[in-house]
Amino acid sequence: MSLEPFAISKPLTMGVELELQIVNRHDYDLMPGSKDLLRVMKGETVPGDVTPEITDSMIELCTNVCTNYEQVLEQLTVTRDALVRSADRLNLGLSGGGTHPYQHWSKQRIFDKPRFQEISSLYGYLSKQFTVFGQHVHIGCEGPDHALRLLHGLSRFIPHLIALSASSPYVQGNDTGFHSARLNSVFAFPLSGRAPFVLTWDDFLVFFEKMTHTGVVKSMKDFYWDIRPKPEYGTIEVRVLDTPLTIEKASALAALIQCLARWISHDKPFALHEDDYLPYTFNRFQACRFGLEGTFVDPKSGEHRSLREDLNVTLHALEPHAVALKAEPALRYVREEMRWQGNDATWARGVVEKEQLLNELVRQQCERWAGRPVGTAR
Amino acid sequence: MMNDFANFLQFSSWPPRPDWLFWASLTMVAAGVLGEFVNRRLGLPRVVGYSVVGMVLAALGHGIFANGALDARLRLVVDLALALLLFEMGSRVNLRWLRNNKALLGASAAEAVASFGIVGVGLMLLGVAPLIAFSCAVLTMASSAAVVGRVGAELRAAGQVSERMLALTSLNTIYGVLAHKLLLGWLALDQKGDWLEAVAQPLYAFIGSIIVAALLARLTANLMRRLDLRNENSVLMLLGLVLVALSVARVLNLSTLLVPLLAGMILRNTTERPWVWPRHFGTAGGVLVLMLFVAVGSAWTLDALAMGAVLALALLLLRLVAKALALTGMARLSGIDARQGIALAVCLSPVSGTMLVLFSEVQLHHPQVAATLAPVILSTIALMELVGPIAVQWGLRLAGEHHPETTVKEAAKK
Repeated sequence: MSLEPFAISKPLTMGVELELQIVNRHDYDLMPGSKDLLRVMKGETVPGDVTPEITDSMIELCTNVCTNYEQVLEQLTVTRDALVRSADRLNLGLSGGGTHPYQHWSKQRIFDKPRFQEISSLYGYLSKQFTVFGQHVHIGCEGPDHALRLLHGLSRFIPHLIALSASSPYVQGNDTGFHSARLNSVFAFPLSGRAPFVLTWDDFLVFFEKMTHTGVVKSMKDFYWDIRPKPEYGTIEVRVLDTPLTIEKASALAALIQCLARWISHDKPFALHEDDYLPYTFNRFQACRFGLEGTFVDPKSGEHRSLREDLNVTLHALEPHAVALKAEPALRYVREEMRWQGNDATWARGVVEKEQLLNELVRQQCERWAGRPVGTAR
Repeated sequence: MMNDFANFLQFSSWPPRPDWLFWASLTMVAAGVLGEFVNRRLGLPRVVGYSVVGMVLAALGHGIFANGALDARLRLVVDLALALLLFEMGSRVNLRWLRNNKALLGASAAEAVASFGIVGVGLMLLGVAPLIAFSCAVLTMASSAAVVGRVGAELRAAGQVSERMLALTSLNTIYGVLAHKLLLGWLALDQKGDWLEAVAQPLYAFIGSIIVAALLARLTANLMRRLDLRNENSVLMLLGLVLVALSVARVLNLSTLLVPLLAGMILRNTTERPWVWPRHFGTAGGVLVLMLFVAVGSAWTLDALAMGAVLALALLLLRLVAKALALTGMARLSGIDARQGIALAVCLSPVSGTMLVLFSEVQLHHPQVAATLAPVILSTIALMELVGPIAVQWGLRLAGEHHPETTVKEAAKK
């Protein structure tokens, strides 16, 4: 089976996908509700789409193709409000966060869609452990070669994006010590990790032919890479983000990636090289484990510094691009977040420290997702 | 010779005569064993086994209505266990949900009114005297909190039907108790011409129950803020609190059904923090719940069944039809589909402990009326005792909400 041709898309446009947790309003455990939610959502018109996901306590929403931050935020607000309204009618809570803090995966049911059944029978318990929730950001590319160069350029910033978006410190009732424990589940899949270092679509097709020849993959969907090309849309898809706890943060992260993409495409700030991937898994681990305080090894100089320091330098370089893309409020949001708490994982640990109850954490997450005040949990 | 030996060992009597404790314990063991058996072999909820033990006891002449009236000690067990289940159920009713989904409140009202109207009129058309027909309609307004709460928890059901059956049962229990108080008032007026009793009694019971419930909720919230309720000792204290409130309700002649139910609801709706405690308050509460099912299962007599079974069957069918019509009618508006509406109606069909308590109060105040009611009411309980839990299981299965574990096993087989 050969790969479909790379579609045309407008460069630097973006689309956002968010996977959400559906929880009950009693003890805030995951609760099957996607079918009911989708039924009630039929009465609502939203930009983009709302679709079922692998288990029926998960739901995915996506935006249409957007050109700037403001548009993403606007579309996410409309869809979020419609979803929250529907969830309220069903006594359901919706929450961001890369993992549910204490759900027991063995209790999750699989939404009956053939592809999900297939995944579930192939991966067994891994597919259940895959009850994790991510944000995917698509960036439009002017052609397949541009897409691959952009993909490898963005790879340098994967750790930064992980550290900023991390919102999954708790898994099955335990503090994992990680900022993003979700990615540990993703890494368990055989075809996760990074895309092979090829810079032209012709070379990529050769690689894809070889892989299909081995019978290991059938389509692009079988690759769980951190960033992967999506020929169907003519985009590359950044897949490492945990679902943030608010749509404001989700929009800001999307805009940050858009700015990075413009910088890399226009200024070509560094040459691409296979060796840049040498510290890749180390950096990624540091980001998952320690968030912004993790160590970042500069792939070019071998210098060690914290992700926070490297991100500050990067944000400075992005400023003109933020102006061009009207993304200044987004970068301001990121700076503010870095000053205040770093990421949602740190916020979550603060809540649990104070409340000593993971259920209360999920309740507060639901309120933050709905854009309501968290309220006093007396 | 044996007597001397028994004396030597200081036996209190010879031949040894097992006391009530022995029989009660034996009943518990038998119920436990049978519950496990029906669960493993027949795939039915465990409570079915408990009820069977109760039915056998009744058949042997040891039922709680064996002497014609509810046995006081057993009434206590029923009250205590029901209090736990009602408190638990009330604590899951989110009033904000009813505000956000007015159609659900509408569905609840429609379901209760339809049940009352269709049962009352239906029984009259079948030739039952109006007073008796509408008394039956009042007594069957409330669904069984015991069966609904217990079976839902046992199957670890989760979904819209499970959520709604708890909310609607809580609500129709409130309507049922209020209607019952009005019925008692009406009977007092009808028979004694006593206006004061007719009006003041229900009013006192209702307001008093709210006050005691609010106090209990307040105390519980305070306790829970300081203690972790997943800890066994704290749960025992919570259990104790609920039981204290219940005894106060009994002493003050308040509704033993409303106090725990409202306390749970007030607790849920005055604080945002999610409350988590082991279901039925752990093992101690679990024992009470088991005894409840045995006791209610034994609430039938052969005479009653012979006289009232046909009418009881008609009543249950009328009630189910009423609920199904109301709930499927309101399904779309309230955000579920017709299939879930039917499933919900089936899940709300059980009657048991709540009705028994309400009936025993009629019996206390108006023995003649109660005597006419007894055959139908006791037969209804007897019929529903086995069918009820199975109906809830079936309804949850119809809605695809039962037992996630089974689903996983079934999936593995495919």
